[in-house]
Amino acid sequence: MATMTNAIESDRIADHFVVVHPLDDVPEAKVDTENLGPMRMTLAVRLSLLSLRAYLALMMLLVFYHVLDLAGLFGHRA
Amino acid sequence: MNSKLVMAPASGLQAEVLPVRGRVVKSKWARNLLTFLMVFGPGLIVMVADNDAGAVSTYSQAGAQYGIHLLWIVLLLLPVTYFIQEMVVRLGIATGKGHAAMIYQRFGKWWGRFSLIDLELVNFLTLVTEFAAIDLALNKMGVDPRMGVPLVAAGLVLIAVTGSYRRWERIVVFLCLLDFAWFAIAFRSHPPVWQIVRGSLIPGMPAGGLTPDLVFLTIAIVGTTVAPWQLFFQQSCIADKRLRFADMKWARLDTFLGACITITVAGCMMIAGNASRLHGFTFTDPAQMAVDIGTFTSGFFRHAILLMMINAAVLGTTAISLSSAWAYGEIRGWPHSLQLPIRQAPGFYVVYLASVAAAAGLVLIPRAPLQLIILGVQVLAGVMLPSAIIFLQLLLNDKELLGGYANKPWNNWVNWTIIIALFALSLILAAQVAAPNLFPAAS
Repeated sequence: MATMTNAIESDRIADHFVVVHPLDDVPEAKVDTENLGPMRMTLAVRLSLLSLRAYLALMMLLVFYHVLDLAGLFGHRA
Repeated sequence: MNSKLVMAPASGLQAEVLPVRGRVVKSKWARNLLTFLMVFGPGLIVMVADNDAGAVSTYSQAGAQYGIHLLWIVLLLLPVTYFIQEMVVRLGIATGKGHAAMIYQRFGKWWGRFSLIDLELVNFLTLVTEFAAIDLALNKMGVDPRMGVPLVAAGLVLIAVTGSYRRWERIVVFLCLLDFAWFAIAFRSHPPVWQIVRGSLIPGMPAGGLTPDLVFLTIAIVGTTVAPWQLFFQQSCIADKRLRFADMKWARLDTFLGACITITVAGCMMIAGNASRLHGFTFTDPAQMAVDIGTFTSGFFRHAILLMMINAAVLGTTAISLSSAWAYGEIRGWPHSLQLPIRQAPGFYVVYLASVAAAAGLVLIPRAPLQLIILGVQVLAGVMLPSAIIFLQLLLNDKELLGGYANKPWNNWVNWTIIIALFALSLILAAQVAAPNLFPAAS
């Protein structure tokens, strides 16, 4: 976890403060996401992604059902 | 120009004097206010832009059909929308990257591409509905949409291509503040104040009880208040604005104020819908509602509602198009910042321009399948929202990534409750849209 000294707090000079707009400030060190790699597949992560896949499969089935229904395969459309 | 002491993060000891532009203030109070004003923007914009053309239609329809009985649902959505966007604030500030980039890096190419394609598709279809609303409102104002729609689209492109994030943000914040006109519109309709307070604070059921129509309108209210593009937009916006760890509390305050404004404005839209109902009008669309309200108030209010409808669509369009452009740029590794001129980020601006131009162009095609597009938006949003929120929740529990900014146990309890509720509601809505025969009682 990257940390950075509180830029605003460190701006106190004598009896006044300097407030800097984020776009004018020196770029801050952030979390190095490039070198972190993919997320660790813990049980919670696996279960969440599995639920998501199941949900997406169900949604696809519903859309497929709608297409078949529109095609008149279930016979109750005018 | 002032000099600023910066602690080098690696050693924590080395000091270096770097020239930065800053403003000098003498009191702590002034410092806090000025810092807030500098950080303020992404939270307000994401929340107010969420009250887009679709939201105007949904809230005013809710007011026109059920009066002020559903105000408590809108108020209940205040913490929901805040908690979700607050997670985005933490993620954006800690990583300095957009949501699409984080999904791509932490969950791999498959989920990254799935999220991107789904986002781009649902965003584009939503943009078409925004321009359809602009077309409708212009028609009611007596302006030829063939002139008006391209002009609005050109304006939307011009505000983004200036090469200055600040310029874009100032214009959009100004448009957001115009939303306060909804307070005047609601006030002018002489709302029953005590009933509004009661309708907001005490959950109640409209006359007629729990019907399928009421269930689906409630789901539509939830769906319009919490939209997938918001997650992508605010995180990328925070990254583009380069908000710092020290800005966290102000970014949270910005998001909270934005949430309060958007929920209050949503309530005003319901009150306007209620006013048309009390005068015996039947709701068809918000533009017609504006005409109806104009008959018992004045032409000024008719035009005010129509202009607010256009304003809502414009805000929605700029935010949604930017969320598409930022996400595409992040995944493709292109330069993607409003701070960059066109020649340095051509891909980013082309996506923005293409989104706006294609949506505006499609609306101008006679007999375009708008109903099919609205249906597509509902189904795709049902797919997109739960998956986007699952990724958000997993990323916010990623201690390797966020360290001390990761979710606390109480955050997780609140968030999982919201996620399960949103999953269920999205599934019901998508199922109703995709397979209406499963709900024979719904009209």
